[in-house]
Amino acid sequence: LLTALWIVLLGMAIIFVVLGLLLGVMILLNRLLKPENKDGS
Amino acid sequence: MGIAAEDFLGFLALNWQIALMLVIGLILIYLGIAKKVEPVLLIPIGSGIVLANIPLGGLVESGGAFALLRQAGIDTELFPLLIFIGIGAMIDFGPFLERPYTILLGAAAQFGIFGTFFLAYLFGDGWLGILDFSLKDAASIGMIGSADGPTSIYVSTVFESSYAPAIVVAAYSYMALVPIIQPPIMRLMTTREERLVKMPIKGKKISQRTKIIFPLVTILIVGFLAPKATPLVGFLMFGNLLRESGVVNRLSEAAQNEMANIVTILLGLTVGGMMVASEFLKPETVMIFVIGLIAFSLDTAAGVLLGKLMYMVTGGKVNPLIGAAGISAFPMSARVVHKVGLEENPHNHLLMHAAGANTAGQIASVVAGGAMLMLVPLFS
Repeated sequence: LLTALWIVLLGMAIIFVVLGLLLGVMILLNRLLKPENKDGS
Repeated sequence: MGIAAEDFLGFLALNWQIALMLVIGLILIYLGIAKKVEPVLLIPIGSGIVLANIPLGGLVESGGAFALLRQAGIDTELFPLLIFIGIGAMIDFGPFLERPYTILLGAAAQFGIFGTFFLAYLFGDGWLGILDFSLKDAASIGMIGSADGPTSIYVSTVFESSYAPAIVVAAYSYMALVPIIQPPIMRLMTTREERLVKMPIKGKKISQRTKIIFPLVTILIVGFLAPKATPLVGFLMFGNLLRESGVVNRLSEAAQNEMANIVTILLGLTVGGMMVASEFLKPETVMIFVIGLIAFSLDTAAGVLLGKLMYMVTGGKVNPLIGAAGISAFPMSARVVHKVGLEENPHNHLLMHAAGANTAGQIASVVAGGAMLMLVPLFS
């Protein structure tokens, strides 16, 4: 059962690490890439 | 001649197990048509069950059509991956990209997967031994909590779980029941004050370039950190790239419509075809449906809990209800959150925030599937 507990803990850790990194990169991208001005002005 | 009537008259081979499976198949078809419960899936699955369980029909025997479809599309994991291209092409990740913080809600809601896995293993080989659930079976059952049919099929197939058909039907059934399962849990776990929190309708504007780069960045990050999730996230994000690139509308349309529809028909029929009486009618199947309900409840509770934490940290700016949309039942869950929010305050529109969490949940569930595929063999 300890095995299963490890899988639960590591699994949730992997999810938060991967998605946390993705969050960081997306925030950075949002800052670097400004929205295009559609009316061209 | 030496040929007995039982060899060519199907009804002579009928027994109560087969009759029950035929009734289950007909009920699924009825629910799909009359009640409009996930008809796109339940009608093919129900039909598959009926066809597979007709005695002497031969569809599931070696060389039969269902046996061939299973080999070609399920055992190879091809059908769920092809479906993912269609899903990726259908999803607009805009609401998530405008509110990137919602990805954390998607992450939290995946606790249902791991909590359910723990529970299944507890009842199985892990401790109590009441049910015939190995570590891999428990991991497959946990994937019901992904609220994502293709991911459930993919993981249970890779783990060669004999419970794959029950897992898939449970996942799709509970996805259809999200409007019934989630609201009571959301209300129970939040105060009225929390539910009344208004959130801005408009998010931060994002560029089209961000939308195009997003699927590629996701493939690279998820692929390198959780490589076992690469097939799932790769096909999902490839579909999204077709959509967002803006230069291959023809392919995007084909992925969303023709391909997704054809594979859905084949997948549904094949999954139904896997539900033959001798393999499906076990006490474990009933337990999978019970545990599946717990999975969706845990998903909802975990998402709302993180929402409450965000409410506290931000000084009451985040409505915890949106956490419930962190499951990947898209767009059903986002709509449910929006509706519950409106019931408290008719001027509170949580839809876009909930849609952000909901689409983030799609990515999170794929990562969770990859994590499960990576961790379980390490501990087996």
